[in-house]
Amino acid sequence: MSRLDRLQPLVAFMLATLGVMTVFSARADWVRQVIWVLLGASVYVAAALFDYRRLRPIAPALYGGMLLLLVAVRLVGHSALGARRWLAVAGFPLEPSELSKLLLVVVLAAYLSRQERVSWRTFGGALGMVAAPAALVISQPDLGTTLVLLAVALGILFLAGARPVQLASVVVVAITAVPLLPHLLYGYQRRRLEIFLDPAQDPLGAGYSLLQARIAVGSGGLFGRGWLHGLQGQLGFVPERATDFVFATFAEEFGLLGSLVLLTLFGVLLVRLLRTATVASDRFGELLAGGTFCVVLVQVVENVGMNIGLLPIAGIPLPLISYGGSATITTFAALGLVQSVMLRRRRVAHQERLPSLGTITRRAQA
Amino acid sequence: MTSQEPPIALGGVAPKPRWSLRVAAAAATAILVIGVLAVKLAQLQVTDGTHLAALALANSVRHVVLEADRGIIYDRHGAALVQNSPVWSIAVVPAGLPSDARDRTKELIELAHLSGVPEGTLATELLAAPDLFAPVTVKANLAQADELAVSERLPDLPGASITQRSVRTYVDPMVFGHVLGYVGPIDGLQIRQLKAVGYQPDEMVGKVGVEAGLESLLRGMDGWADVEVDARGQVVKVLAARAPVAGDAVYLSLDAGLQKATAVSLAAGLTRDNKLAGASVVIDPSSGEVLAMVSLPGYDTNLFTHGISRADYDRLLKDPEKPLLNRAIAGQYAPGSTFKMVTATAGLQEGKITAQTLLSCPPYINVNGWIYHNWASYSLGWMNVAKALATSCDTFFYQVASMVGDVTLARYARAFGFGQAKGIEMPGVMPGLVPDRIWKQLECGVPDLNSDACRWTEGDTITFGIGQSYLLTTPLNQAVYVAAVANGGRVLRPTLVHFVRDPAGQLMSRQQTEVTGTVPASADNIQAVREGMREEINRPYNMNYWFRAAGVPADGGGKTGTAQWGGSGLDLPTHAWFVFFAPYAQPEIALSVFVERGELSEVEAAPIGVDIMKFYRSNLGSIRA
Repeated sequence: MSRLDRLQPLVAFMLATLGVMTVFSARADWVRQVIWVLLGASVYVAAALFDYRRLRPIAPALYGGMLLLLVAVRLVGHSALGARRWLAVAGFPLEPSELSKLLLVVVLAAYLSRQERVSWRTFGGALGMVAAPAALVISQPDLGTTLVLLAVALGILFLAGARPVQLASVVVVAITAVPLLPHLLYGYQRRRLEIFLDPAQDPLGAGYSLLQARIAVGSGGLFGRGWLHGLQGQLGFVPERATDFVFATFAEEFGLLGSLVLLTLFGVLLVRLLRTATVASDRFGELLAGGTFCVVLVQVVENVGMNIGLLPIAGIPLPLISYGGSATITTFAALGLVQSVMLRRRRVAHQERLPSLGTITRRAQA
Repeated sequence: MTSQEPPIALGGVAPKPRWSLRVAAAAATAILVIGVLAVKLAQLQVTDGTHLAALALANSVRHVVLEADRGIIYDRHGAALVQNSPVWSIAVVPAGLPSDARDRTKELIELAHLSGVPEGTLATELLAAPDLFAPVTVKANLAQADELAVSERLPDLPGASITQRSVRTYVDPMVFGHVLGYVGPIDGLQIRQLKAVGYQPDEMVGKVGVEAGLESLLRGMDGWADVEVDARGQVVKVLAARAPVAGDAVYLSLDAGLQKATAVSLAAGLTRDNKLAGASVVIDPSSGEVLAMVSLPGYDTNLFTHGISRADYDRLLKDPEKPLLNRAIAGQYAPGSTFKMVTATAGLQEGKITAQTLLSCPPYINVNGWIYHNWASYSLGWMNVAKALATSCDTFFYQVASMVGDVTLARYARAFGFGQAKGIEMPGVMPGLVPDRIWKQLECGVPDLNSDACRWTEGDTITFGIGQSYLLTTPLNQAVYVAAVANGGRVLRPTLVHFVRDPAGQLMSRQQTEVTGTVPASADNIQAVREGMREEINRPYNMNYWFRAAGVPADGGGKTGTAQWGGSGLDLPTHAWFVFFAPYAQPEIALSVFVERGELSEVEAAPIGVDIMKFYRSNLGSIRA
């Protein structure tokens, strides 16, 4: 079993443990979170044992299923906090937009692995594939997840070898589209976007969250107030203290040192994911690992960034830490798939051409 | 790169990873952005840490003042004269409102419906609050029915709560109002001095009456608690606290029944003679305890404690009968003929007359070309001092005053307590005025001894002798004065306090009789004056009529007075007085009755006193219990 990446599941487990501790401290239903982590661990093992290459042929079906779920949530979903995001599946709330992050990675990896190069046509095709789920998610409305999907798509395209001019064109289009966006949205959707961009407009909503999260993080100081001894988190001043603002709860209780440990763990996990990409036996596996890297990175940056007031507020969970079944299990599934890539990596003497990376042959050293 | 590749091949040696430029760039990006996050974290948690930790503490730890129950005021037998009744208000912690804008709007609409405050006002009040965690009172003084309605809805209204506070509700304010007074918010002038003794700016404090005079006993001591609250304003735990200590229970010297009877008698007397204002004070001549004190018109003190409207307040202020003025302690009027006992005492004690000395009672006397009239336009003949008191002969007392002189007369007046603000347990007590030549000079502004406006004249002296001139007194001073005549010359400090109990019911203090002065006159001389007062109420076809009509034995001593005011001359407006003590041998009560603009004291003031006396006699058992 020396092919196994032992560090990756170890770090994931450490993160999930910190997550359960923080969820417990935030007075959320920690038992459920433990169940989800255990479920996630089984999914991880199953995904690792599953040959990821068998996903490639069924990618179009997965894409169709993802769209179906997102449409279903539009039609029969449950709403909370003003957005329609949940589907009840056998009594459990399922959040299809969480699942869509993983499915998009699989679908894009499959699509981009068909060609060695990213032509304008392929590039446009990939964006088109993102557009449909993004449009459905933004109409929930969930601007944050939409941006995550777009960022993940751009990240995969970059790793797949998209040219700088192609990536730059998306950025230019986005910048020109932003002023138009408010006119395309209705009433409260537009209002939510405005608040997203300027939280001070909503002193009891987003502006309040922002301020309280900042206070929580700051009051943690160097060493933190200690587990279960946070004021802001324990007393509920931090809104969504177990989900969107779980990092503020964590940082208050564990301080700068704890936060740096958490960020370091994420850093190690991210590097391990990229390392898997470098040893993948095929382009699909490489992009799968790279895409998972993008999903984790984008969410960590957005979540921590909004908790410390660097980025606008969006309902993005902190992977493996935030309370929530869909996100936790999806993340474990993604990491399991990456482990599957790891387990099925190039054999020692295997030769492979990786045109996109420009390397022709490389021999493993004994 | 194809799915035809062989499946898992376990074992073997790990290949060297091939870090392409893009993958390396991705790793570098990840490390860089995590680094940026770390730097920002360090800034928040280390540089701003202390400041933000203080903000966290300010969020969650609140200093709450626990209001002490204000002491209850009772009459001498324990009948409560005021209650602390609860009122409710709706308070909202802005931070406790739903964070979603639509849910919040829904809640605001509901709150607007429940409180009657327009939703727009609510929104601006709550959203613009300087401290999002401090409760904002959106509706004060909720009616009890509304309180129930709001309480029912409260679970669905995050952030909203009902707070309870007690307000003073006075029993029978038109009767007891002037004595009890009322409490109100501390005003700008008081706050500076009261803050030093621990008052909060929003606290209630006694404004007038014994509520103000006994503030230090009634207030109690507020407690406090440092509590940890959660984001919805709910108390999570109490960090430190001191329980409030309720105020003392004060048992006034008033007898509630006698107070009511006094108010009823006075009101009936005023109505009978088309008069609008008056006052009466009944005191115990052996202890100085005030048994009744009434000033009419009264006003509803509950208006002040339950939130008076601008219109009601203006009406009280602009009322020409000045209902807010407690005439019993603050109304200053010439005593008129009720002063003649002082003149008589001075004449007797100074040896100018004896009890047997006979002086004439002509219709007028001529002093330096000025004519001073008696009330009768015919001569009443020769008489001694007792007869002169009984007939209230002005010209007799002109002569005595002239013999005694103004300085000595002023000395005796002061000895009887004239011109002194009594140390009774309420603010606003006026002293009255005992004039003399020095006072007159100072009063006229430009000292010019050749002007009658500055120079004390013989006319001033002789009218001083019948309680006119510049002399002023109050109904309270009159009662203390007649009590001194009744008890043989002891001037007592009038008091409204019978005893005080602490919140545990322990007796704190019982009022001690305090003699503030003794009239420098022999017992015989005072007895001669008392004799004159007894004769007055026993004159047939005059005062005695009222006693017989009321079925009250004319046992005691009384004196009427119809005092002119508003300048000098013949047809001046008058006030009517009656002072009285009883029984004659062992006086138990002394009283003064004042009728503003009263024209005939024997007809207007005296029957009121007789009425009060009648009630006293028939309820002796319960009053003296």
